Amino acid sequence: MAGRAQIPTKNSALIAMIADEDTVTGFLLAGVGNVDLRRKTNYLIMDSKTTVKAIEDAFKEFTSREDIAVVLISQYIASMIRFLVDSYNKPVPAILEIPSKDHPYDPAHDSVLSRVRYLFSAESVASGRR
Amino acid sequence: MEDDDRCSSNNPGGIEQEEEDEDGTVLRFLDSLDSYLTLLDALSSTLRQGWFELASARHSMGSSRISSVLLDQKVRSAATTFQVGKSIDGSPSESHPSFAISKWASSRDGKCSFGEMEVSHVQKTSKNSELRHRGSSNFYDTTEEHDLRINASSTIGDGDVQKERSKSLSVFGTLVSPKLRAAQVSFETALDAIVEIANIRSSMLCAFTQLQQEMKEKGLG
Repeated sequence: MAGRAQIPTKNSALIAMIADEDTVTGFLLAGVGNVDLRRKTNYLIMDSKTTVKAIEDAFKEFTSREDIAVVLISQYIASMIRFLVDSYNKPVPAILEIPSKDHPYDPAHDSVLSRVRYLFSAESVASGRR
Repeated sequence: MEDDDRCSSNNPGGIEQEEEDEDGTVLRFLDSLDSYLTLLDALSSTLRQGWFELASARHSMGSSRISSVLLDQKVRSAATTFQVGKSIDGSPSESHPSFAISKWASSRDGKCSFGEMEVSHVQKTSKNSELRHRGSSNFYDTTEEHDLRINASSTIGDGDVQKERSKSLSVFGTLVSPKLRAAQVSFETALDAIVEIANIRSSMLCAFTQLQQEMKEKGLG
């Protein structure tokens, strides 16, 4: 995947965030917040009223924008749109699943680790023995 | 079979080289995987510290002063941005993206100061000593390190960087709690970890793709 896809080089690219209020607030304090002329932000704050459709739309938007290098998404939110996250395979923007306050990071649910896990599975070992 | 024997006897060095290359790819993949998990653990610790400081700031300043309602929709550019380049491991066809961060760049026209790269190096060195202690909570025992980082950030950063930091804090009022400043430093540290994670992830996926190709060629995949 990494070798075949075109890798766009970017300067001054943004980091997008789909996370809870505290996580987004913290990263905005670190200076990553961006609001453009169309009042479009590079973050989505997840609360009790946020629908799965809104998360999906935000994910699709952030992964298709040319000016975004990394998309940070809390792992528990990524699990709500797992199919979408797992089927994403472009090198840029990179999707990073991060922990949240109430949901610690679980390597078993990370989409990148799930992709490479099969190398260690019994099936791949068995197929080598045949 | 006889052809294979002839090939292997004619070119034993070539097969050995292939096996060495494959071992190198496997090692690179496993190293990246280990680093990825270790860095995520470090990121979790840093974020926990940041959330705690944010909660402390909210406690001292009041919940209404630190909330998403204050994150106004005023047009503004990000002061901290990323650069994406190409990194090549081995053959030129196996390139993968590499990421770099430029903190508080808008005040310095996109140049990352040596001071901030220095701080990142210090953080990386201190993290390396904790590489084999995955799972241990570094929540309280890094207070001294964290204080050093705050002092380093405030002395190394020039006036423009401090101005940008204050601008970021000013969303929450003119006078803010020291805990909010500490939270800002924690999340800046988290950004450094995120850049490293992005690079390790990229390297891991590149090595994984190479391994897949090799397995396919051997008829194992």
